[in-house]
Parts: sequence; structure tokens; C-alpha cells
Amino acid sequence: MSSAQILQVRGLKKYFRVISGLIPRLSGEIKAVDGVSLAIGEGEVLGLVGESGCGKSTLGKTIMRLEEPTSGEIIFNGVDVVKLKKKDLQAMRGKLQIVFQDPDSSLDPRMTVGGSIEEALIVHGVQDPAERNDRVAGLMEKVGLEAGFVDRYPHEFSGGQKQRIGIARALAMDPQLIIADEPVSALDVSVQAQILNLMMDIKDRDGLAYMFVSHDLSVVKYISDRVAVMYLGKIVELADKREFFQNPLHPYTEALLSAIASLRPASKERILLKGDVPSPLNPPAGCRFHTRCHRVMAICPHSEPEFREVAPGHYVACHLYA
Amino acid sequence: MTETRSMTRGKAGMPVYINRRLMNYYWERLKKNRLSLVGLGFIVFLALVGIFGPLFVQDPQKVDFEIKNMPPLGCSIQESVYDIKTSEFTTTLINGRADHPLGTDSKGRDMLAMLIAGSRISLLVGLLASGMAIFLGTFIGVLSAYLGGWVDNALMRFTDIMMTFPFFLLLVLIVFIFGPSLAIIVLVIGLTGWTGAARLIRSEALSLRTRDFITASKALGASDARVMFNHLIPNVISLIIVMATLSIPGVIMAEAALSFIGLGDPMSTSWGTILNTGQHSLDTAWWVAVEPGIMLFFTVLSFNFFGDGLRDAFDPKASV
Amino acid sequence: MTADTVLEVKNLKTWFYTRRGIVKAVNGVDFTLRRGECLCLVGESGCGKTVTALSILRLFDSPPGRIVEGEVIYKGLDLASCTIQRLRQIRGKDIAMVFQNAQSALNPVFTIGDQIVEQINAHGQVSRADAVAKACRLLEEMKISQPERALKMYPHQMSGGMKQRAMIAMSLSCDPCILIADEPTTAVDVTIRAQIMHILQELKANRDMSIIFITHDLSLVREIGDRAAVFYGGKVVEVDTVEHILESPAHPYTIGLMRCLPDISTDSKRLPSIPGNTPNPIDMPAGCSFHPRCQEVMEVCHSKDPALMNIAGVHAVACHLFSAAGGKN
Repeated sequence: MSSAQILQVRGLKKYFRVISGLIPRLSGEIKAVDGVSLAIGEGEVLGLVGESGCGKSTLGKTIMRLEEPTSGEIIFNGVDVVKLKKKDLQAMRGKLQIVFQDPDSSLDPRMTVGGSIEEALIVHGVQDPAERNDRVAGLMEKVGLEAGFVDRYPHEFSGGQKQRIGIARALAMDPQLIIADEPVSALDVSVQAQILNLMMDIKDRDGLAYMFVSHDLSVVKYISDRVAVMYLGKIVELADKREFFQNPLHPYTEALLSAIASLRPASKERILLKGDVPSPLNPPAGCRFHTRCHRVMAICPHSEPEFREVAPGHYVACHLYA
Repeated sequence: MTETRSMTRGKAGMPVYINRRLMNYYWERLKKNRLSLVGLGFIVFLALVGIFGPLFVQDPQKVDFEIKNMPPLGCSIQESVYDIKTSEFTTTLINGRADHPLGTDSKGRDMLAMLIAGSRISLLVGLLASGMAIFLGTFIGVLSAYLGGWVDNALMRFTDIMMTFPFFLLLVLIVFIFGPSLAIIVLVIGLTGWTGAARLIRSEALSLRTRDFITASKALGASDARVMFNHLIPNVISLIIVMATLSIPGVIMAEAALSFIGLGDPMSTSWGTILNTGQHSLDTAWWVAVEPGIMLFFTVLSFNFFGDGLRDAFDPKASV
Repeated sequence: MTADTVLEVKNLKTWFYTRRGIVKAVNGVDFTLRRGECLCLVGESGCGKTVTALSILRLFDSPPGRIVEGEVIYKGLDLASCTIQRLRQIRGKDIAMVFQNAQSALNPVFTIGDQIVEQINAHGQVSRADAVAKACRLLEEMKISQPERALKMYPHQMSGGMKQRAMIAMSLSCDPCILIADEPTTAVDVTIRAQIMHILQELKANRDMSIIFITHDLSLVREIGDRAAVFYGGKVVEVDTVEHILESPAHPYTIGLMRCLPDISTDSKRLPSIPGNTPNPIDMPAGCSFHPRCQEVMEVCHSKDPALMNIAGVHAVACHLFSAAGGKN
């Protein structure tokens, strides 16, 4: 990426403490995000792929500091978000926004959709009600909804429309980066395409960047410039989209790609992974993927592979490429 | 926090959502529920009677043994008197009289006047005490859920302690120390009755806290107070209303029960005190117990109907 | 009704009488299921595919739901009108069902083994040892390693993929003739989905069983289906063999649905999409329910609902673009 970096994450960790027992005490730690480093350029879309429980949503929320990071650096626009005071953090949040997966739970059922969008403007000090009114109307139109819908309640809208409202709310303060946490997973296919196109149009017009979190590689392929794969709290592969889909290196990426059902007949034999994702409470030693890997070697259970650049811009954490 | 709703009509000619419009919306929805309107009607009637009624009737404390145990208008009872001299029973028929349309009790006090006075006391105690309890419960529940951590722990353990505390013993003790008065009764019920509400509201708020719209609001940079007042509380309001409407009858009954065991305010007449006198003369004057009973029954029912209607009206998802 | 037809659904209408109005969730559905085939019911949320499946065994909530019209013929018996006692003998034994969410379909307070054994014993008495042995075999068939251990596990001790497989094992406990799988892979991850699909493919190959596979994902249809029925607005709008329907879909909705699916094997710059939203089942558009979103809408579509008609071989379409004689008008 030649353009300036809007976001740089270095060695980010988020551990959840598990407290149990009659007399509460620490019984373990869930390493949801365990040392993640990545960067997103201005106007770039980074696709973040992984199965449920791999920590991809937590990573998104930790970057926004909706979850307090355990350690690491988050440089957004040249400022370390981790060190920000609460007040400065609130000011920053207009520029760093989030869109959620579930359109039903992401809007306050007791608030009109206009009120939900307007809240962003109130919080960020837009005093004049008439100006707020105009801007809410403008945002509604921007996401393809009639401005006259502002005084309706969320339950009067379909899933796709609710997701549009969620996007409008995120766009209220002209953000530079939007973390989209599975924004189309809960939608019907025919509506999913509308939302993806809308997000692409907004990006092209406003030049903002996305971190697009998804479990669906075909959606990620459509929208992303670069793709990162996450497994049990760590990024295992990161590459430009073209390189990623043509030349996947990590065995987990290979398996993910082969597991995708396609309308066209599959060309290669499907790689079936054994078992399920292990618990992040107690991840396997060495390479975390070794328990399910179809190309496991003697070294894998003992030594954790380094995340290194094996080709220009193509990073992978696997002993096969050491 | 009202600024969200205080938009005026914008240039784009968008529909506005000012406060009054929202209230109209709720009222329109409430109107569609007939039963709740009936409930509301009865409550309003009761309130009017409680406020203005005592101006029109005689003093409820006026004792007149000449006319004791008069049946209500339209009813009649037979009274047998044993004459020591003749050793004979003489049976006389007593009819209800128009100047005491609901009859009199064993001391000849007018039932209508007592019931009207009682409605004032009962409503006052019900509204004040349960208002206090629900306010405390909401405050503690929402605070506990939203702040979490040690605050939550401390508040909930305090709630547990309050819950285990014998409420009647406390009341007896306080009445013993400060003497029986209405204010004391209201305070004690209000200060001890919030525990159930706090627990329920906390659990509701806890599940709301993890919903995405709360996260979204925080992600927009909203302050904790804004999230609590604009998102959390509006979403527990239907629960609060249900609990308030359910607790008002409970409090009215509690006051009745207190008066019943003689801990009521001796200077005032409540439905409970009337019931108390009535139970001793159930065989001779059934109406003394039945009449306040009927009033209690309809009051409790009205609050329940009205509460149901309000809950549906406040919930935009409910179809009315 | 030909000899190898195991289930025939004729003009099925299941309506829900709610306070907001009548939800015509299933509104005139016809299809047949043949022996040993896998029929896919494809459609978006609210299209009636799940309610159709539930209607076969009358498993929807009633009230408010009611089958107002139509027949479900299984072995000469109309399941839509037979007694509930008769239906209970068929549920689980002849026709079994797998649900989307294994988490809520399994009882959390019993072990997997107990639940499968109970299912086996529900239809015909078998000794406990035989039942346990059979449960073990079933779990093995589901490729669960150490099946004896798995039998003693409670649902919360199992991972999502294992629960899904345990549920499939449970549904197979009485060797049903028909397995209805309602979105069995929607709630699981891609790698687990691949495992489940693999198991279902093997079941289809190894057992003499017909499968009704319900999904919203057209790409899964290719992997398992023989024929597919596309649902829209509570009706079947197109039926054909899977190969043919994926290669040359006829109904504008099917065409749109296939085009808006982002495909991993192509490099598209912009996704085609179907404008508008899926219709509200309380307030269906008049005429053809797809007409407000249709690219090729005609005058007649606004007023007249097209019937499902055969246009060539097994290919049937409900669209005014096609006449009964076949081919496009």
C-alpha cells in the first residue's frame, strides 16, 4: 500500500478473564485476540476472515476500544487510541465507526430511526436542530432510503433497510474507517448484494476505508483489496486479494477456500478438516492449527511459527514456509 | 435528554418527532385497548372521589349508636332482640335508609363517607409508596447492570440483605418508635419494597447492555448517562410500568393488612381499617367487610388492565 | 402418482391467523418427492420453505397456524387430515426431521446417548443393549470419533459441529424413509458445513432414503440436490433438476437469485442485485407476488397469479413469460 496508513495495529492482545467459583477467582483466560498486527491504508478494504470464535469480532471491537485491549498499540490517524483519555476517545469515535451484524439488535427499538441517526450528531455537538434535521435526511438518502421514514420505528423496516440505517448512523460524522462486523451475514442473498453494492459506492465516493469482518470468503473476495485470515486469536495469513485467492499458502486458508460451495463444479478435491475449532480458553501448544492441519509436521506441536513475509506483501505463519 | 425529541420542523418538510407527537402516538395506541380505558376510567373516578368526595359527605368518624348496623339501601335484615323480662325474642325488620345509602357499621358510622375517605388514603399510599419503590428499584437496577463489577456486586448483596429482612418486624419496630402515621407507613413500604423491582430491572438491563444498539451508541461517543437515559431506561419502561401497576394494588393491600392488624394510622380511615371492623361483624353486618372488599377488587383490577394497556402502547412492536 | 413417488404435496396452504392479519406462509405448494432422491427447497427468509416442511408433519404451532387446504400424501395416507395419533406413529419413524439449531433441538439435561436411545425406543421396543449398540453405530456413521464416549456426553460438552451430527444421528435412529433437513448447515462454520454436507452426501448414497433439503444457499444445492424447487412468497415458482436449473434458470427470480450470489470463482466488479425487499407475508402483492421486483414485469403480472406449469420434461415454472406449451412467449 503506497498510500498513507489510516490504522496500524501492533501486537494487539485482548484476554478475557474467566472468573468462576463460589469465592470468585481467576480460573483462566480466553485469549480472544493474541498478538495481532495489521495495517489499513486510506480508502482500503481489508477483509478479515475466520470461523466463529476466532476473535475477529473482538478484534474489531478492541480496535474501537469498545473492549479495553490487554496490551498492544492501535495507531489511528497517527494517534495511539489505547492511550487516549475517555473524552478524547469519544471525540475520535466519529471518525472510526462500526456497523453490526444483526440488524435487529443494532437499532434501539424504542427510538425512531431518525433519532438513532441524529444521536451521532447530538453527541458530536451539532447544536442547530434544523441542521441536524437536514443532515439526517441527507444520510437517509445517501443509503437509499426515503427521508420521510425518519419518524418510523425499526420494526417497521426489513432487515436490509435496517442495515442501511445502521450504515447511515455510522456515516454521520464522515468517518475515515468503518469496521463492518459481518454486515451482510444476517441478510437474504438478494438483499446482501444490495448492501454490498451500497458499501462499495459509499467507499468510492467518500474514500473511506473498511475493515470488513466476515466468515464468507466469497463476499470478502468481492469487496476487499487485501485479505487476512484469523485462527484462534492470531492472523495466520495476509495477502493482496489476487495473490490470496490464486496462491493461498497456509493450510487453513486452503481448507477454507476448498470448503466454499460454488455454483460451478469444484475443480479440486475438497479438503475436509478434522474436528472443530479448539477452545480459545486452552489453545493447542505450538502452531494452534496443528490439531486440524492436513499437512502437519513433527515440529508443529512444539514450536509456534513466526508470522513472516514470504513474498512481497504476502505474510504467513506456518512452518511449511520457514 | 429531551433534546432528541425536541426537533422542530426542518426545511426538508420531514415529519417531526417532538414530545407531544410521541405522546399522541402512545395515546392513540392506548385508546385501542378498551379494557385499559375502562381501567383508566375507574382510576380517574376513584381519584376524583378521593380528592373531592369528602367535601360532600358527612364526617366518616362520626359515631351514632342509634343507627348502628344499618343495611345498604334496598337491603333489609332481621334483628332479633331478647327481652329479659318477657323471656321472648322480638324480631324486627330493619330496612336500608336513603340517608345512609351504603349502610352503617357497628358504631353507626356512614359507610359511604368511610369508603370515600378510604379511597383517598388507599390511592395516596399506593401511588406514593409504589412510586418510591419503583423509582429506587429502577435507579439501583439500572445502575447495577450498567456499571457492573464491584458496584453491581455491592448493590446486589445489599438488595439480598434487604430482601431477607423481615418487613413486618421492621414496620412494627418503626411504628413502635415513631408512632403510627401514614407518612411512616408510606416511607417504610417505599424503602423496603424496591428489591424485587431492582432485581428484575437489573436482569432486563443486563441483557439489553450487550445488545448492539447500546454498543453502537457508545461507539458513536455517547456518554454513560446518555446511554442510560436514552437507551437503557426507555427499553425497560414497559417492565417498570408493569411492575408499578402490579405493585400499586399490592401496596394498597399491604396498607390494608397493616390497618387490619392494628398498625394503621388511627387518625385516618382506610379500606383496610374498615375491613378490620367488618370482619368482627360478618354475621350481623356483612356489608361492612364486603363493600371495601369490592372497592379493593375493582381498584386492583383497574390498575392491572390499565397497566397491560400501557405496556402494549409503549412497546412499538406490540400490535394494538 | 407414479410408483416411485414417496411423498406428494398437493396445493398445500398453511395460514397463520395472527392479530395483525392472516399470514399466508404457505399458499398453494405442489411438489413430489421420489424414492432415493434429494429434493432441495430453496428460497429466502419468509418464502414458506420451512413452514412447508413443518406442515408435512404438522409441527407448526396451532393455533395460530392451520392447514386450510391441500393434501400431503404419504403411502396413500393424507398426513394433512389424518388423526394426530396416526401422525405420531409416522413422525420420527417414517419421516424424520433435522433442525437448523442443534443447540436448541437437543435437551440439555440428558446425555446424547439417552436421547438417541429414547428415540429408538419411542417406536418399537428394543432391548437397552441393542439400542445403545445402534446409537453407537449411528454416531460412527456420523464420523464422530470415540462414539462410546460421545454417548455419555451432555450437549453442552460438545462442539457445534458435533451437536449437529448427533442430531442427525438421532433423526436416523428409526431408519426413516424421508429425512427433512431444515437448513442444517446455516448455523455452523464453513469448515463444519463441509463436514456436514459430506455426511449428508454419504447418507444419500448409502441409505435408501429420500431427503428434503431446505436451504437459502443455492451453492449448496449443487452439492447434494437432484431436483430443486425454488420458493417465493409462499409458492413454488420453479422446479427442475439441479443441473438444469443452475445452468439455465427460467423464472426471473431464480435468475436474479443466482446472479446476485457473490461467486468465489469469478472476478466481478459489481454484484447484480434484485431491487426491493422480500414481500411481507401479511400483505402479499396482488397477482404474481414477485412482480414489484421483477425486471420483466408485464401488464398481466399485476392482476393474475401465474400457475406452476410444466414447460419441458420435469421443468415447471410459474411465470407469465412462459406458456403451457413450453418456451418463452
